[in-house]
Amino acid sequence: MGRILIVDDTMFMRTLLKNILFSGGHDIVGEAADGAEAVARYQELRPDLVTMDIVMPKVNGIEALKAIKAADPAAKVIMCTAVGQEQMVKLAVKSGARGYIVKPFQAPKVLEEVKNVLNA
Amino acid sequence: MKSVPVKVEHEGRWVPTTMGIGEDRIRIAAPLDCEITYKSVVDLEEKKNQVTITAGTDKDLVYRIASVEKVLSVLKKFIITQASAYRLNAFFMSPAIRGGVLIQDARWEKGAIAVMKTGIWFVGQETQVCIPLADVAGIELTSREIQEKNLDVVKIDHLIENEVVTSFVLCPMTTLQVLYNFLKEATQDSDVSEELDPLTGQVAMLVYSGMDSSAIENMLKLSHKDLETVYDRLLGTGLAEVLYIRKEVQLTAKGVRYISNAMKSSSN
Repeated sequence: MGRILIVDDTMFMRTLLKNILFSGGHDIVGEAADGAEAVARYQELRPDLVTMDIVMPKVNGIEALKAIKAADPAAKVIMCTAVGQEQMVKLAVKSGARGYIVKPFQAPKVLEEVKNVLNA
Repeated sequence: MKSVPVKVEHEGRWVPTTMGIGEDRIRIAAPLDCEITYKSVVDLEEKKNQVTITAGTDKDLVYRIASVEKVLSVLKKFIITQASAYRLNAFFMSPAIRGGVLIQDARWEKGAIAVMKTGIWFVGQETQVCIPLADVAGIELTSREIQEKNLDVVKIDHLIENEVVTSFVLCPMTTLQVLYNFLKEATQDSDVSEELDPLTGQVAMLVYSGMDSSAIENMLKLSHKDLETVYDRLLGTGLAEVLYIRKEVQLTAKGVRYISNAMKSSSN
């Protein structure tokens, strides 16, 4: 079970992910609503894993991912993309993302992906 | 013709017999005692270790055959490559996304696609995938980056045991357009014409994600009654179906007495 930071600009998606991850026994250590806040919260909380939305105001998910990886190369980040944004995945791979979730998602698969990345 | 043991459905019962698998036909021994040419097959359905073959010459005849996976795999390959169906050579990737999670080792497989009466079949060297048309949740003509190029693909969202799976088909644009149009037409009954209000949309999204009623009530701060009203809207539009009905109960006098007694004995 891991300590997880959830990053998404919509409260609805954050709450949904929080519920899913909590039901899987994970500890939600923090939330962030944009990339800049995500980087700050990561430095502060040092979670085991981050779920990161890609399209967000101010600093987007890819830029936040790069900043987090620069500060901590071992950081485990799962990117969240909306349907039709799968092309962003390539960019996220290059930037060091460990997993990818496409919205809308189903709870069992999200938990499986989180488990895989945490155990990797 | 190689003969293998199978079970066939005959007069409502499964009966053991043998089936010869040839290059262009199968021969089923008694009690069916028949030959089915692959090119006469108009539909093929799959359910665990069982296939249903519909062959139509003068009138459609339905055969149900059960056997081990290896036998059915050979049979399906012969049928799909020779049946009377719209068939095309294509690359496919199935599944590419499962339950919203990208499958990282998913790869394009070269093979054939056969569009039959009730489903689409992908057949490659290693894979045989059937997508029943009734399980298609979405079709989109879109583009995908493949080997540094943006290529047109058909994206098919479909259900496998309540899991939403996305598969892709890649072939020349003209063929792709034919496939897309066919699938659109074949699944037009499932097209969504209703506009949902924001709350109903949110509830639908939560149901999709696997949340149960109490989780939805907590997340959206809804009463049980409010949620029931939203569920009724989803049911009314055909976007959801009843999985089960949850009971809410209150204790009778006998139940209250039981709890009171239980509390007394535990505090002694």
